[in-house]
Amino acid sequence: MTDTTIFWVALPFFVGFTVYLLPQTARLLTLAVALASLVYAGALFVQPEPLDLRLLDSFGVTLLADQLSAYFILTNALVTAAVILYCWDTGKTAFFYAQTVILHGSINATFVCADFISLYVALEVIGIAAFLLIAYPRQDRTLWVALRYLFISNTAMLFYLVGAVLVYQTHQSFAFTGLRGAPTEAVVLIVLGLLVKGGVFVSGLWLPLTHAEAESPVSALMSGVLVKAGVFPLVRFALLVEELDPLLRLFGVATAVLGVVYALVETDAKRVLALSTVSQVGWVMAAPPVAGVYALAHGLVKGALFLTVGNLPSRNLAVLQQRPMATSLWLPLTVGSLAIAGCPLFLGFGAKALTLEYVLPWQGSILGLAALGTAVIYAKFMVLPHQHDEKFVASPGLWTALAVLLGSLILANVVYLEAYTGPKLLTALATIGGGLAIHQLLVKRVKFVLPRALEDFEHLIGGMSLTLVVLFWMVWSWLAI
Amino acid sequence: MLHACVYATILLGFFGIIFKENLVMKIIAMDVMSTGAIALFVLVAARTGVRTPIVGILPEEGYADPVPQAVILTAIVIGFSIQALMLVGVMKLARDNPTLETRAIEEEYRS
Repeated sequence: MTDTTIFWVALPFFVGFTVYLLPQTARLLTLAVALASLVYAGALFVQPEPLDLRLLDSFGVTLLADQLSAYFILTNALVTAAVILYCWDTGKTAFFYAQTVILHGSINATFVCADFISLYVALEVIGIAAFLLIAYPRQDRTLWVALRYLFISNTAMLFYLVGAVLVYQTHQSFAFTGLRGAPTEAVVLIVLGLLVKGGVFVSGLWLPLTHAEAESPVSALMSGVLVKAGVFPLVRFALLVEELDPLLRLFGVATAVLGVVYALVETDAKRVLALSTVSQVGWVMAAPPVAGVYALAHGLVKGALFLTVGNLPSRNLAVLQQRPMATSLWLPLTVGSLAIAGCPLFLGFGAKALTLEYVLPWQGSILGLAALGTAVIYAKFMVLPHQHDEKFVASPGLWTALAVLLGSLILANVVYLEAYTGPKLLTALATIGGGLAIHQLLVKRVKFVLPRALEDFEHLIGGMSLTLVVLFWMVWSWLAI
Repeated sequence: MLHACVYATILLGFFGIIFKENLVMKIIAMDVMSTGAIALFVLVAARTGVRTPIVGILPEEGYADPVPQAVILTAIVIGFSIQALMLVGVMKLARDNPTLETRAIEEEYRS
């Protein structure tokens, strides 16, 4: 298994460079890499013991691959495969596929590494590859959005780097476990870097603009897996060093609520999805032991939704109200919305039930409200008018991609079949019904706009410093680390 | 003393990112900040001494810790490649926004 792991980590980067030399094989090779990740994730699931690798010696690279990594890797594999299938006939150049596969590889690397420096390198490579993917259309507007993203993520990573060296100073090692006993400022700086990268709470407000302005396949990749590269290490920390667990749970709940509140008053379809990603990231963090299942459910649904919304005639929900869309597009949109709102039959239902089982009592009620909020948000999509339209022909890529994503969403139910009990089914259906009702009676009629000032570039950087202060206070006075 | 200087560099770089209006200045400020972070690694490495750790020439005592030095080399490379990438992006943006003021760019590209 050791050799397999190393080969699997190196493969995407190798393929990424090969693709430049042999552009005509780009699509096939990229898809093959995604399938390799799928097989590797499967192998991790059946492996009884977590794989703990120390390459070289105590100063070398540390890898840790277990069930939790397997869920995240599975998400990455499926979403990447779907995005490649979606782009199959769109005439994207080899450059696009090369960046996709490098992004895929570096995200995989974050899911198995267990030391700060490997994580740093992987996250920075993610930043560069994502920048190139967002800027791929080469318009000034997308270039600015990409530049903004790279700037913010790199600033956050500088803080992270300072934190990493402070951990080394204490323990003479970069392993994750070194967080225990590390000085407060080290923990704070590292956590801040990852919060920004993962799009959590106010540090994550760079996310809506970036995810909404990118092309839909890129948005699907970003919302589906990229944000999880920032969240996964945090979850890993909380599992390795229990003292950090309360911090993560608190941030998780706060993020879940913040994202829902913003998304409720939004009228742009892609921004609604992006803001809902912020909220769902909170759900992933709210219960660290079962984060993997929720990440899988969210990645699959969000990928499908972004790909579908990219085909709509307009992004504005008010325009969509006036102009009925083709029924063949409305169906996947509604199915995806139902799945993310926690409808039985889909993994979204099991994942929500599982998360709610592992949360603390105070979290449960707030998250229940957030779940209702999610149902209200997605009611916006479900009630859109539609009609049969023979002229509308979507690319075959869309259907294969949706088949992969939504099919896996139903198959993955085997993870937690115990969720199918009377009370839970009833709660889920009541939540969705309530969401629809609240949307029709209330949200639809109220016009209210939240200021977007917090999403400004300067305020994002300023917000970083404020988060730093708040985190310092929390870790110092509240956590016994 | 050295520690204070290093942290001051990091902080000044960060303030530069916040307060400078011009995009190029912001990028330079970020470079200052990353210089600070690199200096911190070097400083941590020098805790045990400043002699170069080379196999074969065994110093009597007090050689520098090679691990942070090796690690920061990677970070330097990543840092400058990101800076280069951003400057290319800025060059392209400068064609339509000659002043390169972030506020103006932000407003222009808001939907």
